[in-house]
Amino acid sequence: MSGAGFLVDLHRCVGCGSCVLACRIENGRTEEPVWRRVVPLNLRRHPGGPTYFLSVACHHCDEPACLRGCPSRAYERRADGIIVHHEDCCLGCRYCEMTCPFGAPKYDEQRGVVSKCHLCADRLDQGLAPACVTACPTEALQFQRPGVAAGGDARAGVPGFVDPAGCRPNIRFTPPRGERRVVLFAAIEEAIRR
Amino acid sequence: MTALRTIRTVCPRNCYCTCGMLVTLDEHGRIVRIEGDPANPATGGHVCLKGLSYARRVGYADRLLTPMRRRKGQAGFHPITWDDALGEITERLTRVRATHGPSSVLYYEGSGSHGVLGGLSMAFWRQFGGCTTTYGDLCWPAGLEATRLTYGANLHNHPRLTRDSRFILIWGHNPAETNVHQWRLILDAQERGATVAVIDPRSTDTTDAADIHVQPRPGTDAALALGLARIIVDAGLHDTAFLVEHAAGFEQYRARLADYPVERVADITGLNPAAIRDLALAYARTRPALLIAGFGLQRHHRAGQTMRAVALLPAVTGNVGATGGGWQYANLASHCLRELPLPPEPAGGRSIPVSQVARHLETLTDPPIRAAWIERGNPGSQNPAAPRVRAALSALDLVIVVDQFMTPTAACADMVLPAKTLFEEEDLVTAYWHPYLQWRAKILEPPSHVKPETEIWRLLCERFGYDTTWFPTDRVAYLRQLLPAGRESALEALMDRPLDLSEHGDIAFADRHFPTPSGKVQFASDEAAELWGVGAVPEYAPLDEGHASALAHRLPLQLLSCKTRDRIHSQFGNLDWVREVERPHVLDINPQDAEARGIPDGARVTVWNDRGRIELAARVTPGIRPGVVHVLEGWSHEGDPDVNALTGEAVTDMNHGATFYECLVEVERV
Repeated sequence: MSGAGFLVDLHRCVGCGSCVLACRIENGRTEEPVWRRVVPLNLRRHPGGPTYFLSVACHHCDEPACLRGCPSRAYERRADGIIVHHEDCCLGCRYCEMTCPFGAPKYDEQRGVVSKCHLCADRLDQGLAPACVTACPTEALQFQRPGVAAGGDARAGVPGFVDPAGCRPNIRFTPPRGERRVVLFAAIEEAIRR
Repeated sequence: MTALRTIRTVCPRNCYCTCGMLVTLDEHGRIVRIEGDPANPATGGHVCLKGLSYARRVGYADRLLTPMRRRKGQAGFHPITWDDALGEITERLTRVRATHGPSSVLYYEGSGSHGVLGGLSMAFWRQFGGCTTTYGDLCWPAGLEATRLTYGANLHNHPRLTRDSRFILIWGHNPAETNVHQWRLILDAQERGATVAVIDPRSTDTTDAADIHVQPRPGTDAALALGLARIIVDAGLHDTAFLVEHAAGFEQYRARLADYPVERVADITGLNPAAIRDLALAYARTRPALLIAGFGLQRHHRAGQTMRAVALLPAVTGNVGATGGGWQYANLASHCLRELPLPPEPAGGRSIPVSQVARHLETLTDPPIRAAWIERGNPGSQNPAAPRVRAALSALDLVIVVDQFMTPTAACADMVLPAKTLFEEEDLVTAYWHPYLQWRAKILEPPSHVKPETEIWRLLCERFGYDTTWFPTDRVAYLRQLLPAGRESALEALMDRPLDLSEHGDIAFADRHFPTPSGKVQFASDEAAELWGVGAVPEYAPLDEGHASALAHRLPLQLLSCKTRDRIHSQFGNLDWVREVERPHVLDINPQDAEARGIPDGARVTVWNDRGRIELAARVTPGIRPGVVHVLEGWSHEGDPDVNALTGEAVTDMNHGATFYECLVEVERV
């Protein structure tokens, strides 16, 4: 992990969606498609796997497929690694929607352009955390500074989240803790490795 | 650069957290940011998705912005002016009173928006000559009374002391979904090495992260509590020094424990005896240990005795009056305000139990209920026997509902008056988890045709020619005089930060003084026996409508209708922002029970009993105990299950609570 990004503690995240609402408010996305979503895994609580939630938006990848796939150079990488999208350059061709394996770029039918999470770059420039991070009531969602490796048990991939296109996304996950969930988690990770 | 201003306020919902909030407005008065107020040490700079959703809710397209009326028997409401609305209300209320007397009008207020100014409604009703009000509470009263009888007061440690706990026993409670700021503190304690154990027949976000999860049959918690105590005392792990000094009636209680050997308790609760033993020993051997009880285990008619049995465990183990320990149910430290000045209460008023609104609307005589005024509540969805509440309301001569949105209750009204939001009038808000009194600031003008309820009542008093001097002209001055005597000057400080105006300190009962008849913890309570006709020592007795009842042969499944993070009862779920992240309202059923009924995951099912039936999708989940099914409560939008079609109107053994979770059903595939 080299650029700025997110760290999600899967033990602390309760999947409440506060991050999603905070993103809507901060970015004025009242009725437009929202940039962040929470993916619940195993709400049915199948005994073969743990139940947890993935709060995800744009991962500001080191090898961003959106940027590579954009014919109009609407995407730009900042020095801190944040991938910003310039709406005024956007053709609305939606290629980035197709190339991004994580579904981060969202097409706005009304305005005919794409947009996505910019990691609250304006807030970061003022020394504030991204709005989603500030809103997280359990402090599960954290901002990762560029060039700082996520410590502890953080990892790049977890069951339910893989990097299928070699984008090297800047997101890390701390797995759920507690005996039951660790065992289940390890079993799934092992199955994926095989 | 736009000029932004940030205003401190508080979320007034009926929720543990009662978050301090910072709301930022742009120069057009639009909300551009909502954040938690770091000055509230309990909620610690966070709100939740519901608090954030106010940015959508205040200006939501469905919000009611003008009085609406409907002709009897006709579909659809049409807008009318306030002048016409108040004129018609005055005329029709006067007519009802003339024909049937003032008690023929039901005044029903729910818990939809906390604040003291709501009480000003009585300035009208008392001058009207009285009315029929409700008593008791749908939610928590049995646990409150059990705690009062046991410890003398509903107080508990400051939430942040949770971090000092080494063992946290969460009983009938789901803080990860319904008290998220408490959950953050529990997770902190867990990271510092505390063990988290949860007693809940369901699996929840709380049980997922717990170290220990036991799933007893609903309604058997009293037996479990007494069984745990028996194991603790037999093992000599009770705190003799504490009990000698601070227990009243311990020997009677100890004799009662003889009736609860682990084999019998295992049989009643459906738990493995080893699991009960392990839990008892783990709880008793780790100090400090905190017991957090929710409302879930007291939503049946044996509630009071159950809560007394559970509440005694911290006293048995001496976990009282210390950081990281204690009994945590409700903290009423902030409930320190003076009574509103009101006209004298007229003679001959009448009151009905809030859990039995349907029955009383249907059957009251002398006089019968002929009109109803409903505000801050949605009894047509949220009360037991809700369809009967709706039918009975629809049959009245006059129903007036004050609300922000067209709820199932409002749909039964003749007239709907638009309600203000939390941002549109000042108030003082108390809490029941942290000790802080908070100032609710007025940060927006109400939309042009919306009036705060206090103003509606004042205008009605004017129409009736009543004394209007009971109503504030200056709300700040009015609220100041409600602060505790000698603390009036705290109002300005309150505008700046939440305040604990109680003298209790952060550790409840730190001085080991208990304001009970004996000054000690009441293991036996003659007061309980005298007031409520229950045994002086708590005991387990099976539910009338429980797993061991005769009815269970025909209706074998126990239905729980719990709450989650997306809603406060029926509030918030109407908003698109919330629906986007909300939990599905499905029937949770164990694979064993589903298989026996030929129900595959996702199938449409009917849930029924002798009171009603609902239809919804099933989620076959091993997370729920066999014999138990679950539906989230809170009817917020079309398609939500009307779960209170199934619930009954029984009341709790103490303090007039509702019994939502004493509800047997059968389930079949549609």
